[in-house]
Amino acid sequence: MVSIKASYKKMQEMLGKQLSIEQLEDLLSYAKSEIDQYIEEEDMLVIDIKTSNRPDLWSPEGMIREIKGILEEESGIPEYEVKESGYVVKVDSQLASTRPYIACAIAKNISLTDYHIKQIMQLSEKIDYSYGRQRKRSSIGFYNLSMIKSPIEYKVIEETHEFIPLESTEKMSLERILEEHEKGKEFGHIVKEYGHYPILLSADGTTLSLPPVINSNDVGRITEETTDSLIEVTGTNFETVNVVLNILCQVLVTHGAEIYSVKIEYPPDIYKESVITPLFDKEEIKINLDVVNKCLGTKMKPKDAAKLIAKRRFSCNSIDGNILTIEIPPYRKDILHWVDIAEELAIALDYNKIGPTKWKVLTTGGLLPETESENLVRNILVGAGGTEVLTNILTDPEILTTRVNIDKQDYVKIENPVTSTYSVMRKMIYPLLINVLSKNTHETYPQMLFEVGEIVKLIDKKVITQSNAAFLCADADASFEDVHKRLNQLLSLLNTDYEIKQVNHPSFTEGRCGQIIIENKECGIIGEIHPSILENNQIWVPVVGFEIELPLIPSLKCKVKSTD
Amino acid sequence: MSNSEKKISLPSEAVKIYQIIDENGNISIRELEKQTKLDRGKLEYYLGFLVTNELISRLEIVSHQISLTNNGKEAAENQLVERRIAKILKEKVSVSFADLSKLVNTENKEMNAGVGLLKKQGLIKIDKGQIIIIDKKKEVNRELQIILEQLLSGETADTSDFNEILLQRNLASLEEVKDILLEILIPYKEVSSSIQKMSEVSRLTPEMIRDGSWRDTRLREYNLKASPPTFYGGRKQPYAEFLDEVKQKLCALGFKEMRGPIVELEFWNFDALFQAQNHSAREWSDVYQVSNPKQGKLPKADYVENVKKAHENGYDTGSKGWGYKWDPLKSAHLVLRAHGTSVSARTLVDLEVPSKYFSISRCYRPDTVDATHLSEFTQVEGIVVDPSITFRDLLGILKSFAVDIAENENFKFKPDYYPFTEPSVELDVLDPNLGWIEFGGAGIFRPEVTKPFGIEAPVIAWGLGIERLFMVKNGITDIRELFSHKFDWLRTAKMSRG
Repeated sequence: MVSIKASYKKMQEMLGKQLSIEQLEDLLSYAKSEIDQYIEEEDMLVIDIKTSNRPDLWSPEGMIREIKGILEEESGIPEYEVKESGYVVKVDSQLASTRPYIACAIAKNISLTDYHIKQIMQLSEKIDYSYGRQRKRSSIGFYNLSMIKSPIEYKVIEETHEFIPLESTEKMSLERILEEHEKGKEFGHIVKEYGHYPILLSADGTTLSLPPVINSNDVGRITEETTDSLIEVTGTNFETVNVVLNILCQVLVTHGAEIYSVKIEYPPDIYKESVITPLFDKEEIKINLDVVNKCLGTKMKPKDAAKLIAKRRFSCNSIDGNILTIEIPPYRKDILHWVDIAEELAIALDYNKIGPTKWKVLTTGGLLPETESENLVRNILVGAGGTEVLTNILTDPEILTTRVNIDKQDYVKIENPVTSTYSVMRKMIYPLLINVLSKNTHETYPQMLFEVGEIVKLIDKKVITQSNAAFLCADADASFEDVHKRLNQLLSLLNTDYEIKQVNHPSFTEGRCGQIIIENKECGIIGEIHPSILENNQIWVPVVGFEIELPLIPSLKCKVKSTD
Repeated sequence: MSNSEKKISLPSEAVKIYQIIDENGNISIRELEKQTKLDRGKLEYYLGFLVTNELISRLEIVSHQISLTNNGKEAAENQLVERRIAKILKEKVSVSFADLSKLVNTENKEMNAGVGLLKKQGLIKIDKGQIIIIDKKKEVNRELQIILEQLLSGETADTSDFNEILLQRNLASLEEVKDILLEILIPYKEVSSSIQKMSEVSRLTPEMIRDGSWRDTRLREYNLKASPPTFYGGRKQPYAEFLDEVKQKLCALGFKEMRGPIVELEFWNFDALFQAQNHSAREWSDVYQVSNPKQGKLPKADYVENVKKAHENGYDTGSKGWGYKWDPLKSAHLVLRAHGTSVSARTLVDLEVPSKYFSISRCYRPDTVDATHLSEFTQVEGIVVDPSITFRDLLGILKSFAVDIAENENFKFKPDYYPFTEPSVELDVLDPNLGWIEFGGAGIFRPEVTKPFGIEAPVIAWGLGIERLFMVKNGITDIRELFSHKFDWLRTAKMSRG
């Protein structure tokens, strides 16, 4: 999901009509977008766009292009004239293995207000971040054309090369930019992986930018005064850089810009020929309407389908019986299969008008035996007076270790936690129940609580998920008997013989703790929580409890789930 | 045991009765009835307290009572027959049997007995059929006459000297009378200080049921308006119970449950679902990576090979694919299940056709936890496979979720996006307070997802925003409450049903 900000007033202006927020939201749904917030004082809409594969929708211009199709105010693929600029970009073959591709265009006679410049910058940032994979796959640059001479060189340069980057006043070497400049720190790792520095240079030696890190402070800045601009996209994927450029040109055209092409001269080890960008390669897809109708449950005729697809800003180039040849707009690269066209047709038909069937796939439903088994245990423990709680499986290592007197253990750990509170997977439940007790010391006693839930642990270097049941009783009068009798009832109702074998466990008082043994296997623990833990958790009454592994109770049907 | 130490609760009426019995020493119930003017039922009720507390004992006694026969009553009213004859003779001096019979107005047998009695006592003589008085001064059977009159009036009379003659002359008969004698066990003054006056009994005790004294006991009325004491019985966690309810509804709609591991291979979480390996959702910031171990084992080689081809060139689905080199090492990375769709993906192996499945699973994303985000959350997801199923059927499935699970007839569909489905749709339902809210999402799995597992039939994938539904139904505004640690809420939260 991508989130953008746009002016409510300007969106209405662009649509040429006054719309309530609800009406606008209804229309935005056709562009897979919805209004998250409307900040009236700032005339600001926060719009969420659900598609991660349609960067052409990540601007008000793109959404409105879609809406105008649905409203039948515009139809088919939008077209604009592209003139030749005479500008050339020469690509260095050393870039072949790192960041080889570039697409450029020149926009002339642009008159952008501050709002529109901010909007275009917002679009560029969103594309760089998400579609461009944080500039790794592609990144965008805008430049003041008047300061650039052709041919432009896209080449590898030594780290001592210097220029003044944006947001700076002094010349900095490329090496220093990566170490010290804010953007260098953010994106420098991409360049470091290349092992060399890519640079864009004007014919007169002026530096345009260090892609994908930072533009130069003078050439690489556009303002309200800028009338002619060079737009450049570099990246690791030929298709990506070209589609991104097409998206940007399409937006600029909406604001009256004239687009001029640039010739990209690739060495043969990067691309077989020179390319004139923006590149419109007229991609087509053939669909069999019978198959589409069968998929959707509709009865579209070929001519209707051709009209409908034009509403979605595609063009139907030919109809041959039930086979339609459909041209894809140059700013879209998300069409991989006829199912993608089927969705466009369904949207054009309107989901709410297609309407639901009384679907009928007759099958027998049911819970898994393991869920039934867990429910059995839950019911018995509710009958035993327990209040059920749900706690987190992904949790705080402190709760699992120091707070229950246990040294660091081999928990399954998270490589990239947001906070240490959620950074390891629990392998026992009772420490979390003690944590719950510690937060409820002001509530009436006795407090009896239980959880039947999943845990994650390592067995022979394999990660498994299984269910455990834990029961704790906290009360001034709590004694071992209080949980022993409940465990006994649980296991006797489950028709399971067990033994309790005395054991020492750091969470429990010595001599007051036992292993639960079923069929000669250790499958749980029962006892009185050690007073030092109570003190540590500021629980001022005795706590007794047990925890048992459900897969080891033979009459239950709980299974261990391995990831492999 | 010292009685003075033990408090004795008695109704005040019982205390009065206790005092009367104490004053009398022993007393029969009959006599007590007279003194207290209480009816027998009430009396017995109060005596019950005294007996239960071992203050008095009950002793059944049998006594005999003499009472007048009809003859006796007549004699008491009209004088004994011999006295009547004597009175006549005192006036007339001499009279014949025939005349006497008329004057006495009684049976001859009776009259004769009276004459005989007078003759025996020497008051009269009989000469040639004439009865003649000899002793005019002497009164006959005066004491007997007084006794008779006393018995008639109900006065206490000492009949012991006359019993024989009364019975002999059929003037009276002897009857057996049963009575209960109440005897003091502990004198009133010894326990008076430890008596607490009460009007009724508050507790029905096992003893009362066993010894039958409940019959003579009035249980005090309860104050039904009083607040009860606080009580917390065992119960299920409200959100867990709600999920149980959703599971039941899905089972009723014919869905089978499926479950999967929490720590998942990227293969099942992403690759099998046709999410490109450089897709932004697979970034560090969007999915939890596991650090030990980092890698798992990929499934059967041909599935892996097919998925690889789907990514690289579309496999034999007719798709372009993503056009990049797929890396099996990346695919073997372990992550925390980021969506329930990974469970659906695992179910694609050897998928039964037709079939319907659901899963309710904990999923994980590296979000900062706040009122609207959890890093560990619940997803309800599933699939439906059938060779003839269409996109319109998919809308029908969503409709039944709106009606049967969200219990909301106001719903609409919107275009949506998922990397693994096409077409994709969002289901919104109209909440009376919040307006349109998103309740579900669905789509038909892309062929790039299903074909690598040998599935030709369309597979519908769906998911429901069940957390939101629970929050809306229960007026919860902070999503963290779902996993709340607050006993106050866990104990008192209202049940979701109804």
